[in-house]
Amino acid sequence: MTPTTQTALFIAVVGVAGIFVFMSFFYLIILALDKYLPYQEEKPEGEFIEEISEESEE
Amino acid sequence: MGLEELLPAIAGMTWQHLVMIGVGLILIYLAIAKNYEPTLLLPMGFGAILVNIPLSSALTQIDPATGQAVEGVLNVFFDAGIATEIFPLLIFIAIGAMIDFSPLFRNPSLLLFGAAAQFGIFFTMMFATLLGYDIREAASIGIIGAADGPTSIVVASRFAPNLLGPISVAAYSYMALVPIIQPPVIRLLTSRKERLIRMSSANRNNKRISKKALIAFPIVITIAAGIIAPSSLSLIGFLMFGNLIRECGVLNKLSQSAQNELSSLVTILLGITIASTMTADRFIRTDTLIIIALGLFAFIFDTFGGVIFAKFLNLFRKEGNKINPMIGACGISAFPMSARVIHQMGQKEDPYNYLLMPAISANVGGQIGSVVAGGIILTLVPLLA
Repeated sequence: MTPTTQTALFIAVVGVAGIFVFMSFFYLIILALDKYLPYQEEKPEGEFIEEISEESEE
Repeated sequence: MGLEELLPAIAGMTWQHLVMIGVGLILIYLAIAKNYEPTLLLPMGFGAILVNIPLSSALTQIDPATGQAVEGVLNVFFDAGIATEIFPLLIFIAIGAMIDFSPLFRNPSLLLFGAAAQFGIFFTMMFATLLGYDIREAASIGIIGAADGPTSIVVASRFAPNLLGPISVAAYSYMALVPIIQPPVIRLLTSRKERLIRMSSANRNNKRISKKALIAFPIVITIAAGIIAPSSLSLIGFLMFGNLIRECGVLNKLSQSAQNELSSLVTILLGITIASTMTADRFIRTDTLIIIALGLFAFIFDTFGGVIFAKFLNLFRKEGNKINPMIGACGISAFPMSARVIHQMGQKEDPYNYLLMPAISANVGGQIGSVVAGGIILTLVPLLA
């Protein structure tokens, strides 16, 4: 095995491991974003106005 | 007055020029008749004709009268757009604006296939060094396996500009040939029973994703990638910038422009500029054939990596929760072609098996994976070469 191939082998091992580390990290980021920024049904604008007007009447 | 003075282009024509004009015509044919990546192959094909007519003013020539170089427009484009990496990076903004990351939020674990299916890049790189290429050239050849044209161009223009022409042709041609390359490899690696596996994820596929999460995603990824590997930032950052324009909700006009006008304009310039490297003296070499063969090798081993990784994961998953190993093959960047191919293969085996959603999730993972692979190569190779 030539020194160039040895270097390539090293880059391949580190590279494949590196991609998995990166992607696992991105996976965790997605899980965190999904947990802390969950989907919430937006209230229609009309309801919001009604709520405010009810509060002000009180 | 002889022919040489009357028609110097004919007098200077060699069989190599004619072969390259033939290559240009074949690329144009594939683009028009077969619809193989026409946005890139057509400009590249026409450009190949343009630069292989002797004394073409599209390339820099020496004026015989003054002995001074007269710059050709394609050389100017090359120096301004490819050597500086501006064209491929602008394409990344356009691609980012086209990507919808919500399928990844629905099936985040499938992101890992975007890592496994980059195996072909590194395997091919090693193989290329065995054939005598130095590490920079080998990395540029291996990156064809990213199945991502702009990433291939960025890496090749930095490490092996002399091989940019054949690498670009191979990258874009094989991306178009995914429906032909992947199915036989998948069939070879999987049993019919495995191809029939259904992935029950109907609830997940209907899950709604928060707008805030989709806006935060490109910002957080850019910061995280930048901290871990700053060299990858030009690739990942531009991709994520394009995606932020798409998701922010207040730049719809810019998002549309990035997806349409910017993408079209830069693609035209990119294709015809790459063709400036397709001159007979640089293209008609044994290297070109070897690179084209290695590109195919890279695509095959990408598919291998993804499918085998899925089979490996299945060893630890319970019956009823297994992954259809064909999904692994979608971890390449050719979007949405690879997902469509796998869905069709699944339906061929069982018309009621709907693999499209998980296939798209893995395919989006592949789009990120290819850019990450490019960033890692850009970081590692200069350190070790």
